[in-house]
Amino acid sequence: MRPKENIEKFVKDRKPNVTTSRQMDKRTLNDSFAAMEQTIRAKSADHKPSTPRIITLSRMMKLTAAAAVIIVGISFYIVHKGPSEQGITTKFLETVESPSEIMTMKSLKIAYSRGGIEGIENQCEKALKILGPQPASISLGDLFNGSKS
Amino acid sequence: MVEDKILVWKFNRGSKDALRRIYEKFKDDLLGLAITLLRDRSLAEDVVHDVFVSFAGAVGTFHLSGTLKGYLSTCVANSARDRNRLRLGRDAGPDVMEAAGSNSDGPMEHAIGREESSRLQDLLARLPYEQREVIVLHLHHGMRFREIAKALGVSINTVQSRYRYGLDKLRSILNSVVTK
Repeated sequence: MRPKENIEKFVKDRKPNVTTSRQMDKRTLNDSFAAMEQTIRAKSADHKPSTPRIITLSRMMKLTAAAAVIIVGISFYIVHKGPSEQGITTKFLETVESPSEIMTMKSLKIAYSRGGIEGIENQCEKALKILGPQPASISLGDLFNGSKS
Repeated sequence: MVEDKILVWKFNRGSKDALRRIYEKFKDDLLGLAITLLRDRSLAEDVVHDVFVSFAGAVGTFHLSGTLKGYLSTCVANSARDRNRLRLGRDAGPDVMEAAGSNSDGPMEHAIGREESSRLQDLLARLPYEQREVIVLHLHHGMRFREIAKALGVSINTVQSRYRYGLDKLRSILNSVVTK
């Protein structure tokens, strides 16, 4: 009685040693190359890469395209409609004629309600700081009345 | 393994040379497997031919998950099984391999004067196809039971029992040859 291992060894050691014939090699390789070329041709005809197709097929490309669209949109908005610091300043200076327009009644009222007369004084100082140094000859009254020097 | 991966990578990019090298590397082993399973050289050559043509048609999309040899061996085994079924259907008789074995003068006489590998072929031919398939894939092509089970679409227990019963039968055939 042969043990299992011996049977396994018996089978293993007697692996058939066959070789293919030249005709078989030629036939198989020729047909394989033909099948390969046919697949490549079919793929290149069916899947000609177009930009929308690439974007549709590739997940990464979808994300990239979406990001690009968002960036372009935001840029367009900022350039044409969005706020710009320079624009705000220019517009502000164009519309405001005197500090009195900055020191509106409403702001003065809020300042008074918060800090009384000192609050109003602080508000005035802030306004002066914002508008820069003014000639000493201008009185506060003139300043608040909107007279231009 | 790495070499196979490189070959597959080149093959997927349409390299004919890579396909040729893959063929040259595995053709003899695959033909040996097909001959063992089918016991018919002409049919075996057709099987290997079909497997390679089908493999070549998968250029650009072929994905290798295990070993290339394991993959091609599985393809050959599956194709051989289909051919065997067709042949059985045509013959409408018992296993052609068993019939071929019983028509011979017996295992001992059949083996006399032959090479060892040829003797084994004759002995294996007396096993049912499923047992022969598992034994050859495991012992000659180094495939694990798990791989074989996956390739054949059966459970690993089925594969192991086919292997065990196959070896038992082979042993009893050998014993009967020795005692005669």
